[in-house]
Amino acid sequence: MILVKDLSIERSDKKIFENINLSLGSGKIILLKGKNGSGKTTLLKAILNLIEPSSGAIYWKGKLLKKHLYDFFNHVTFIADKTSSLSKLSVHENINIWKKIFSSKISNSQIENILQTLKLDTFVNQKVNSLSFGETKKLELLRLIIENKKIWILDEPLSNLDDETIDVIGQTFEDHRSKEGSIIYSSHQESEINVSEEVIL
Amino acid sequence: MIILNKIISFYYREYKLNLSGFQDILTNIIFFFVSIFIFIFSIGPDKEKISVLGVGIVWTLLLLSSTLSLRKFYQDDFDNGNLLIMHLNGFSFGFIAILKTFSHFLFVQVPFLISIPIACVLLNISNDKLIYLFFSFVVGSFILSCLGSISSSMNLMNQRNFLLGSVIVMIFSVPIIIFSIGIINMEENFNSLISILFGILLIVFAINPWASGLCLKLSIENN
Repeated sequence: MILVKDLSIERSDKKIFENINLSLGSGKIILLKGKNGSGKTTLLKAILNLIEPSSGAIYWKGKLLKKHLYDFFNHVTFIADKTSSLSKLSVHENINIWKKIFSSKISNSQIENILQTLKLDTFVNQKVNSLSFGETKKLELLRLIIENKKIWILDEPLSNLDDETIDVIGQTFEDHRSKEGSIIYSSHQESEINVSEEVIL
Repeated sequence: MIILNKIISFYYREYKLNLSGFQDILTNIIFFFVSIFIFIFSIGPDKEKISVLGVGIVWTLLLLSSTLSLRKFYQDDFDNGNLLIMHLNGFSFGFIAILKTFSHFLFVQVPFLISIPIACVLLNISNDKLIYLFFSFVVGSFILSCLGSISSSMNLMNQRNFLLGSVIVMIFSVPIIIFSIGIINMEENFNSLISILFGILLIVFAINPWASGLCLKLSIENN
């Protein structure tokens, strides 16, 4: 589905990375590994066409991605390393807003089940700014289920999460893969998640 | 139909956000009225003088009060990544700028519109001038929202100088104030002056999505 070919990025005359090749097909999970500042987020942003590469190209369904951008966006959920939930609103209000924005057909009982699995069910009526960073991160990951799209692009989804939650996320990744979904995520930490390919930056 | 649903959900989100931050809107209104009282006390008890200066005072304070809210025009959505989410949800950066401009007009400028009659009573502005002030402010405030969108999107690229946006808005608002005050003081020229204001509105409205959209794109790219 996504093909990254000989991608290089320079910023302020500094090479971030060069000649990166990767191919993300159905049912594939790709992990981008590297130290801080190695260019993991930059590569994810380039795939989302937010950064112009110095050379190379990105293809979506065999065509140049930037010419079919909005079709690509219809199939992608991106979760950044910062949380997008609105801090002044409650968990419940944030979920409602996401459901409306992404025209989600997910039922309330499904949401309740996921909240229970992520141990967020007791915080439903609390404002997001009263949650810990790990809890807001877990809430953010709920967006993956609400948006229900084929491709997940995630920047450091495992940081600040306990082992139990990382296991739940690993299981969610497996479920998504079994439904022919694809995932590309960055991480600087080791985990038990079974990936198809690792790209070291 | 899908795009209409997305726009409705965008404004639902803006409504919830503004409702939760209602104290910000209230602070703006309080600033507006406290400043009016300061003007009244500094001019003295001369009703005639207050009445003559009244319209100018209202317009200046409306301008200052609306620049107070510019800091939050895009900043929060930029910081928490919601601008990017809106873009990935199918909105171009230019279209986001248009939606946010209408939102700013609705949730920041409309409360001022409601406050104008009270301000007119306090400043001894006659009722026949109120309707002209109201019309000029409807058009003028929408121009200010467009200018606010451009300046705050520029501010995202220049995070160190938040006052720059306010300065830009104030410089470009000079012609708006000239024509708006003209409408009130030269009622016989109402049609021609309001047409000029509409003309300015159309120009700024056309430039806004292009300029703001570009600034939003560049600031997300460089973030």
